[in-house]
Amino acid sequence: MKNPDQLDLPQGTLDLLILRVVALGPIHGYAIAQRIQQMSREALQVQQGSLYPALHRLEYKKFLVADWKPSETGREAKFYRLTAKGRLQLENETASWARLTEVVGLILQGPEGETS
Amino acid sequence: MNWFQRVFTGKRMEKELDSELRFHLEQQVADKVRAGMTEDEARRTTRLEFGGIAQIKEDCRESRGTLWVASVLQDLRFALRQLRNSPGFAITAILTLSLGIGASSAIFNVIDAVLLQPLPYADQDRLVYPLMIARTGDTLPSSYLSYLDVRAQQRSFDALAGYSMFGRVNLEGPSGPVALSAVKSTDNFFDVFGVKPLLGRTYLPGEDQPGKDNVVVLSYEVWQSSFGGRADVGGKDVQLDGTPYTVIGVMPAGFRFPLEAREAVYTPLHMNPVWAKARGMHWMRTVGRLKQGASNEQARTDLNRVMANLARAYPEQEAGHTVARLLPLDVAANSLDRFGKRTLAGPLGTLALAVLALLAIACVNVAGLLMARGIKREREMALRSAVGASRGRLMRQLVNESLVLCCAGLLGGVLVGWAVLKAMNVFLVQAMSRGADIHLNLAVVAVAAALSLLASLLASLSPAIRLSGADPNRALRAGSAGAGIGRSQHRLRSAFVITQVALSLVLLVVSGLLLKNLQGLLHTNLGIDTAKILTTRLDLSKGHYAGRDPIATFYNPLLEKIAHLPGVQGAGVIDVLPVQGWGDGYGIHITGQPPYPPNLDMGAETRFVSAGYFDAMGLQLTGGRLLSPSLDKAENPAGTMVVNQAFQHKFFPTGGDPVGAHIDDAPKAELKSGIVGVVTNVRQALREPQMAEMDWLMDEIDPKDRMQNLNSMALIVRSNGDLSALVPALRSAVHEIDPTVPFKTPETMSDVVSESLTLDRLEGWLFGIFAALALLLAIVGLYGLVNHEVELRTREIGIRMALGSTRMQVTKLLLGKVALLMLSGLAVGWMLTLALRRVLSSVVEMHASHDFLVLASVTAGLALVGILASLIPARRAASVEPVQALRTE
Repeated sequence: MKNPDQLDLPQGTLDLLILRVVALGPIHGYAIAQRIQQMSREALQVQQGSLYPALHRLEYKKFLVADWKPSETGREAKFYRLTAKGRLQLENETASWARLTEVVGLILQGPEGETS
Repeated sequence: MNWFQRVFTGKRMEKELDSELRFHLEQQVADKVRAGMTEDEARRTTRLEFGGIAQIKEDCRESRGTLWVASVLQDLRFALRQLRNSPGFAITAILTLSLGIGASSAIFNVIDAVLLQPLPYADQDRLVYPLMIARTGDTLPSSYLSYLDVRAQQRSFDALAGYSMFGRVNLEGPSGPVALSAVKSTDNFFDVFGVKPLLGRTYLPGEDQPGKDNVVVLSYEVWQSSFGGRADVGGKDVQLDGTPYTVIGVMPAGFRFPLEAREAVYTPLHMNPVWAKARGMHWMRTVGRLKQGASNEQARTDLNRVMANLARAYPEQEAGHTVARLLPLDVAANSLDRFGKRTLAGPLGTLALAVLALLAIACVNVAGLLMARGIKREREMALRSAVGASRGRLMRQLVNESLVLCCAGLLGGVLVGWAVLKAMNVFLVQAMSRGADIHLNLAVVAVAAALSLLASLLASLSPAIRLSGADPNRALRAGSAGAGIGRSQHRLRSAFVITQVALSLVLLVVSGLLLKNLQGLLHTNLGIDTAKILTTRLDLSKGHYAGRDPIATFYNPLLEKIAHLPGVQGAGVIDVLPVQGWGDGYGIHITGQPPYPPNLDMGAETRFVSAGYFDAMGLQLTGGRLLSPSLDKAENPAGTMVVNQAFQHKFFPTGGDPVGAHIDDAPKAELKSGIVGVVTNVRQALREPQMAEMDWLMDEIDPKDRMQNLNSMALIVRSNGDLSALVPALRSAVHEIDPTVPFKTPETMSDVVSESLTLDRLEGWLFGIFAALALLLAIVGLYGLVNHEVELRTREIGIRMALGSTRMQVTKLLLGKVALLMLSGLAVGWMLTLALRRVLSSVVEMHASHDFLVLASVTAGLALVGILASLIPARRAASVEPVQALRTE
């Protein structure tokens, strides 16, 4: 059922995206998936099979904390928040992502440009 | 939260994880419904998109550090539950492992304590016993004078000490006299062993000379038992055999020399002055510490150089004496004979093999059980892997289950090992000079445990690997427990059963032969009725008999008193108790006979007895008369003796009459000792042929020398009635006459016989037990295999019977298979036995002709037991109802 426009996430970037989304305010897992999909203009669809393990991993590393609160539908849901440590991690990772893309871009569009 | 808390908050975490995922699912469904799907369709597509929930959960758990501990605990709980669900399997496996681990750790403990642990001396590899032999090849102790010469002239020893262990010494303690071992030695005795005393000092040079020599060094045991371990014991005066001694030191725990000397005190020599001056009196044993770097052979050459000097200087007394061997102490410690040619290493090594065989059987059995169980659980595993358990995860679970079994088996094994050592303790102390040092050593248990842990892990790994790799699709579809997949496993298990039967056969053969030999030895015809004779050793304190005649003041009144006790048929004393001791004799020549060839052993044992000894022992007179205090002196002023029939055969082979003959023990005819009677034989030693013996009346000893020779005598009492009822009367009889004599509880001669066979009994019992266990385990293995075969083939059997097979044919089919297994097992077992023949010969010799009955019955018995064990499942197979068997599929 994969939309041909959808992209596969490079290894390790999901964590960064989650941190970015959670940085906007307390949010539960389902909403994180929705938000990533929205923000990527439907290009990225996060599979639950990788979302939840990633959330738990980030929680375990203390980048996120979670508490149970009523959701918009009134049901109790697990809301994740960014910790100070998580914010720092987000900044670092964003910076290195930016550098990485810049460098990769540089190489790919190099003077030779023989990309065929 | 640390991991510990996490493990215990695991339940909450699980619940939260579940609600979190459920929430997501519900949201997604709700969104889809909002987008226009029907509720059902929304649920279905969401499920599909979502994938395996269990898998996601497991990944979530894994991404938190909890997984390892949590899943181990979970597995443990699960494993325990699984085992509870099949108690038969669990109990069998745990018992099997316990027995294997227990038996092997017990035996390895014995080996460790007896063979591997160093002796309690410094530089044990430099300590040797010089073994001197006479021209005839007999071993010969040293005389004091030649010892002094050797000590002065040798160049290869740091210290060469002389010692004697003339039995017991009585220590007057607060709670009556205690009999202790007395080790009497030259002043340099402790220099040999290089062990410092725990308290005080050891002997000073020259302290073995009369006048300075009333000093005693206590062993740690005696210090503890008789002095309560008090630190102020040094300088104290104590009474040894009624003579005052000063305690100068205490040796540390563990120091013992000789190793048999338990509860020992060490004193200087205290020689009989006659022995000190007589070069012909060979009574002192020697032990020495080689100089650093001196080889055994160099030292032996050095000692023989000195012996040659002595032979030149004193040709009459010293010629022909050579040092045949310097026996290292560690070899001697486990020696079963005087030359260290047969040592405990042989029997213990064989026992180790036996116990390893047992352990192997146990492990093979557990592996077989696990495999059978694995085949039954194939479906369960397939299901687990279908719902997302990874292969590693499944394997871990299976290995964990075996670990639980192993741990339980280990606990059981420690218990079994402890119990086995406890039960063998008395045996061990008697059978081995270091037997008292054997305790359950945790290091050894750990090794045995590691060994069996490894073995059972390996055993569980192969089914684990196979099971975890089971293709869920196929296993689930195949429906029944996959009979096809079971085949290769089945072949492996058949191999297991063959191994078990083969090893059991070897153990059964060895134990059968051992027990047969033991029975033979126990029922050796000794020439006496061992069940009717009670005996105990009487140790007199020398100090109490200074200037007193022990015969007139102790033995005669005591024997008189005992003879009048109700039920007593005879009472007597002898210095060397038959069966218990021998070797106290010398070469003789019968007056008037031609000289004997020099290399022929023409010796006879000598004993001092009381007049009533022969009646008490139940020996019959076959010629002449018995010894009598009143007649003897008149007839033979020099000495009178009674000889046994073996003496008659040895010295009068052509039929002359020994009665009236004399031996050349003095140059003048009127001083030669004469023979007045011949009595029936009593065996001196179980393993030696009957020896010639000369019995002298103890009254013939000069009264002033009596205490020297008669301070320790074996009392012999013969009764028709209840022997144990006699004991209190004997005790009061002894104590009425001399309260300072320690009364040791008498035993029957039968007890003496079985004590002298301790090692044989130990071997017999251990091999017997191992063989029985091996047999039991082999039966369990065989039963399990056949049972399993029947389970796997229920369908096939059903079809066969539906097609017209009779129950008889089905039974035959199965029993035929069993017979094939048993035959292969027996064949392999026999090949193994024959191949191991040389190794086994250190324990038991096998003679096909003479042991045929034992060998054949053991083999047949094993085969029969195997067939019987498989009869039950085979009958079950035969009772399969074809319709039902086909319907269960």
